[in-house]
Amino acid sequence: MESTRRDVTKNNKVIICENVSKTFEGKKGSVNRVLDNISFSVRENEFLVLFGPGQCGKTTLLNIIAGLEKPTSGRVIVNNKEVTAPGADKGMVYQTIALFPWLTVMGNVEFGPKVRGVPKKERQEKAKYFIDLVGLNGFEKHYPSQLSGGMRQRVGIARAYCNDPYVMLLDEPFGHLDAQTRYMMEDELQRIWQKEKRTIVFVTNNIEEALYLADRIILLTNCPSTIKKEYIIDLPRPRNYVDKRFLQLRKEITMNMDKSQY
Amino acid sequence: MTKANRSERKKVIRSAIIVFAAFIAVWQIISTLTPLRDFVPSASSVISAFIRSFYIPIGKHTMPHHVAVSLFRVLVAFGIACFTGVILGVLMGYFRIAEAIIKPIFEFIRPIPPLAWIPMSILWFGIGNTSKFFIIFLGCFTFITVNTYVGTKSVDPVLIGAARMLGANERQVFLRVVLPSTVPYIFAGLHIAITAGWSAVVGAELIRSDDGVGWIVNMGMVTGNTVQVMVGMMAIGIVGFVLATAMAALERRLCKWNQQEGM
Amino acid sequence: MENNREVLVEVKNLTKKFGDLLVLDDISFNIKKGEFLCIVGPTGCGKTTFLNSMTKLYDITSGEILIKGEPVDLKRHNVAYIFQEYSTMPWLKVEENVRFGLDIKKVPKKIADERVNEYIKLVGLEAFRDYYPDQLSASMLQRVVIARAFATQPDILLMDEPYGQLDMELRYKLEDELINLWQRTGTTVLFITHNIEEAVYLSERIIVLTNKPTKIKKEIKNDILRPRDIASKEFVELRNLVTDLIKWW
Repeated sequence: MESTRRDVTKNNKVIICENVSKTFEGKKGSVNRVLDNISFSVRENEFLVLFGPGQCGKTTLLNIIAGLEKPTSGRVIVNNKEVTAPGADKGMVYQTIALFPWLTVMGNVEFGPKVRGVPKKERQEKAKYFIDLVGLNGFEKHYPSQLSGGMRQRVGIARAYCNDPYVMLLDEPFGHLDAQTRYMMEDELQRIWQKEKRTIVFVTNNIEEALYLADRIILLTNCPSTIKKEYIIDLPRPRNYVDKRFLQLRKEITMNMDKSQY
Repeated sequence: MTKANRSERKKVIRSAIIVFAAFIAVWQIISTLTPLRDFVPSASSVISAFIRSFYIPIGKHTMPHHVAVSLFRVLVAFGIACFTGVILGVLMGYFRIAEAIIKPIFEFIRPIPPLAWIPMSILWFGIGNTSKFFIIFLGCFTFITVNTYVGTKSVDPVLIGAARMLGANERQVFLRVVLPSTVPYIFAGLHIAITAGWSAVVGAELIRSDDGVGWIVNMGMVTGNTVQVMVGMMAIGIVGFVLATAMAALERRLCKWNQQEGM
Repeated sequence: MENNREVLVEVKNLTKKFGDLLVLDDISFNIKKGEFLCIVGPTGCGKTTFLNSMTKLYDITSGEILIKGEPVDLKRHNVAYIFQEYSTMPWLKVEENVRFGLDIKKVPKKIADERVNEYIKLVGLEAFRDYYPDQLSASMLQRVVIARAFATQPDILLMDEPYGQLDMELRYKLEDELINLWQRTGTTVLFITHNIEEAVYLSERIIVLTNKPTKIKKEIKNDILRPRDIASKEFVELRNLVTDLIKWW
């Protein structure tokens, strides 16, 4: 198996978050500070996990990197350009999966290239490649409602990949799956990522998942979230959930994590 | 469809037939053996008159002609209502300004029953087919508009975000996300509207005419012919049922993705 | 541990077919009074069918399920059921939600009052008696559901993956609370889950199911001392053992 230890010292920063803060204003003038002055960067082809207690600002942070939300102050730079809007350079995979229910598997996966005007033959070949890659060969004409949860998220991953994004943003993509399907999908994501290297930012509140996948984990605090600690995870891949060092790290990070606010 | 589903379906159809037969039987008994018989024409007389109407004309025409004429009126009006209703609904749902302008007017017109429009309709459109189209149009157009409006309003914002992340522009978001996810709502609206439009036919054909199933009922009432009234009602019921079933079948075909089959 | 506990539930040759499709194939086991039994199996095995047969939602094709030696009868036996969705009634306050199960069972008011107080206290929701469900957090809702189930003092409590959608930290907390409550009340619990770690953490005994048609693959005793440590050698060994039995991915 190809080594996945990439050179983490190389200084090609693909995503840079500079002093990002986010405040939501409530109905009666109340303010809710979610992110507080967060700065970090992600290197090319790095697998970065944003990890923190439930309801901390990790999804908001990811949405800001995606351009779906605007920071109250600070800025995000992806591929040397400041992020101002959502766009095809950032592939997103959602917890709610968010497939277009009226499109088939093929229709969903080719959606990105289609709206960007890629010719039919070319985009369908490409979609086919990624459908095969995520293991859904033969399901091209199925609708999302005919697929199981794990299969739907495979489509979600293929759809993001098929658009040739510069970075991949995954927001608790396996949060709604049962424990065993989740383990399987974690293996699958790892396999796909090794075949098609991308820079990945992965949000989760599951410490096992974080440790299993990450090159680096950024631990966030409760709201207003700041970076509490960073962990470089150099365990060899494929990893083992009950390996001694794995369990040690799991305990250590869990101990350092803030208590959930709810 | 699984085996269990199919046998379930058979069961439903069988019980529907039994209930229907029982209804006819009770009707026949009430209309022949109880004191109510003076007010209720018997099932057998209505059914035989209904069958007879296929070859012996009621007024100037036989039943197939009456049904065809009414269907024509309803389908034309329904078509216009689809067109305007969907456009109006989408405008109201998608553009704030359109909502602010149209919604109050719409909410004001909505509670006025189609029948109340008949005098104005005759004044504006005369007594030909146009005023009948207008009445039937009013009977179904509100349902389509309201459903389309609600559907456009309830598009999942995450899906819109997903399309934007994939590079879709404003126009593509509208055409490829907002419209398709509104389709099930539109269909629900069409479903109610076709039935409502079809039942508005009786009102519309109050406006001077000499054919149509609504005319059969109206004429029966004027002449005190209760059998003819019930023959007309029967025709309306049967055709309405067929229309609703056809609409459901069309929806199943066009909205395949919306069937929650699962795996 | 307490091998002399009496047998409460007997499942004998339970078989369930849907048409020609065999889903449950000749499943037999017992549950002892006061036991905490976990059932795990691969994703898509007949766990839900199994539960629905247990609660009489499905007719079983052959075999029988006995509670205290009599066929399951939901009118006579008190079977409580907790599943993933928080099934609180949104129009009832916390207190009324907990009382709901008792009212259905027609428990006299005086006893019901006592029980409602007792169990609201046990799950630590005294301060929230008059709140409505939508004013509560996910963990509090789960506590309301737990209190409602325990308050009826059921013969057996069936739990179907109740913590599947919760984040890990919260799950640990609720698991510890559940164990605590179980130890204090002596309730018999049948807990169904996909999560092997959870099963090893909670159970006194684990039944591992096969894929469809579902059979019992193995029964494993779990007498690791509580409180359990997920990183301890015996815990990891047992977890690996169960994982090897069901791993399909």
